[in-house]
Order: sequence, then C-alpha cells, then structure tokens
Amino acid sequence: MRCWVSFLAVLLVAVLMLSVPWARAVSPEEASAAVADAEQSLHIAFRTASDAEGAGANVSALMERLNQAGDALTEAGVALAAGNYSDAVEKAGASRGLADGVSGDAGVLKSDAVSRASGWWVTVSFSVVDAAAFVVVLFLVWRGLRRGYEGKVIESRPEVVS
Amino acid sequence: MWSLDDYRRVFMAVGLIAVIIFSVPSAMMFVHLPGGERFSELYVLGPSHMADGYPSSVSAGVEYSVYLGVVNHMGNSAYYGVYVKFRNASESLPNTRAGLYNYSVFLSDGQTWERPLNFSFGDVHARGASVGFMDINGAPVNVNKTAVWDNVNSGFFYQVFVELWIFNATSNSFGFHNRFVSLLLNMTAPS
Repeated sequence: MRCWVSFLAVLLVAVLMLSVPWARAVSPEEASAAVADAEQSLHIAFRTASDAEGAGANVSALMERLNQAGDALTEAGVALAAGNYSDAVEKAGASRGLADGVSGDAGVLKSDAVSRASGWWVTVSFSVVDAAAFVVVLFLVWRGLRRGYEGKVIESRPEVVS
Repeated sequence: MWSLDDYRRVFMAVGLIAVIIFSVPSAMMFVHLPGGERFSELYVLGPSHMADGYPSSVSAGVEYSVYLGVVNHMGNSAYYGVYVKFRNASESLPNTRAGLYNYSVFLSDGQTWERPLNFSFGDVHARGASVGFMDINGAPVNVNKTAVWDNVNSGFFYQVFVELWIFNATSNSFGFHNRFVSLLLNMTAPS
C-alpha cells in the first residue's frame, strides 16, 4: 500500500512537471545574435526590394511592411538594452519573419517586372519593324505613282502633225 | 496640278513623320530625361507639430515630446537609420553608428516618415552637472554624462542629437548621410 502511494506521488510530480511550460533563460549572447540576425534580414530584404524596383516593380507596399519590421527591430534593440533578453529574441523573431516575407515577395515582383520588361522589348522590336515596313510600302507607292505620272506626261506630250 | 517634286516632298514628309512616331517607344527606352537633385530631409518639429515650442530648459522627471521626420528625394527607395544620441557641449560631433535609440526607416521616393520622440531625464545631480539616465520613448537608457558650466550662457548644456544614416546596398553597410538635427538643452536646476 505504501509503495503504491509513493508511486502515485512520484507520478503526480512527473505529470505536474511535464504540464508546466518549459521556460528557458535566454542569454545576452543569444539575444544579441537574434537582433543581429534580424538586422541582417532587413538588409537582405531591402536589397531584394531594391533589385525589384530596379527591374521596374512598384515596391511602395514592400516599404510599408519593411517599416513594420524596422519598428519591431527597434523594440528588440530597446529590450536588449534593457536586459529583457527573451523579449528581445521574440521581437527580433517578429522582425525577421516580416523581413523574410518581404524578401520572398520582392523576388516574385522582380520576376514579374523582368517578364514585363521582356514583353516591352518585343513591343519595341515590333515598332521598329512597323516603321521599316511603312517606309518600304511608302517607297513602293511612290515608285508606282512616279511611273504613272511619267507615263501620263509622255502620253500628253504634244506631237507635230505634218 | 501638282508636279512630281510636290509629290516627292509630301511622301518624304509622311515617311519622316511615320518613322518618328514609330520610333518614340524605342527612343523612350534609351533616352532618360535628367531628374532633379537627389537628397534626403531630416527634420524635427515641436510638440504642437510646428517648427516652434522646442524644449530648451529641461528638468529631471519631466517628459518632453518632439516629432522626427525623414523625407526621401533620392529618386528611388532608400533604407535609413535614424540614430538618437545624447552628448554634452564639449564632445565632438558624434558620428559613430551606435545610438541610444535607433529607428529603421524604409521610404519610397517622395515618401515621408514621421514618429514622435518622447524623452525625459533622471538621476540628475549637482544642478545638472551630471545626468545618469535618459528615457527615450519609454525605454530607459544609461547615459552617464557630465557637463561643465557654460560661463557665457550660464548653465549646464547638453544636446539630444539625431543623425541620419543611409544604407548602401552595394557595400551592405550604413554610411553617415550628412544630415543631423539637435536640441540644445539647458539642464540647470535652480540653486
């Protein structure tokens, strides 16, 4: 009987320990690394967005989202400076998540912009071909008109009747 | 009746006009009109959102508010770092990157960013000769600054100093953008 009570007590303690969320202390180094990683993600996201803009994409919406990521990074930096390391890691994670999302979307925008640019090249090429074709047709019409004109002048040439 | 030369002139004019019209899209691809001057604005406004009422004589434990703003006229999107610093009157221009409080700002060309900057001071000793900490937007930061007595203006003076840095995507680093604003603060407490 006593053995059973001891066993139940140990079991109860084990269940209680497992049911409590496992909290782990975050070291200053980990928090600092998380903030640095988030900052690096922002750099990458901005570079990707800049590339997309260079390809002709409108990145205004991406800049708005990057500002949200920047605000989260500011909060992470404040938490780090205040010694709230777990908070710093959480905010840095949020910032990084937003920045990574922007990087992905910027890549898609860039691809779309590049596709549109190649389509534009086709249009430009056609405009050159159109111009050349128009000039050729105009030249042919001109040649026909000139021949007709010259023929008419020859026919209407005054003849001397003896 | 038109002569052959008249017809030739008409055909040449029509051909020339057509070539010009057809080549406009192609020309737009290669001809870039010169843009305006490229620059960025950094500004600070008072608590009433006007260029007026800036804090000048300050006391410990009182919160002061101003507005910080950045405007992008660089011709493309830009990534700015806005760094809030605190210095005494004898320190040289602080242009290392680390600020007491940092904003990361992303702006498309022509866009404006603006945020409130709330600050207060604590642990002020010797009538303002030393300041222990500063609270920026609710975040306490140790500053541990001392100032010498200014005989000309009769007081202990400090500066809240805001620098604008810009991210260079090629070098993957920030560089000082030669823009700063500052608030000169008289911390002298009455004797």
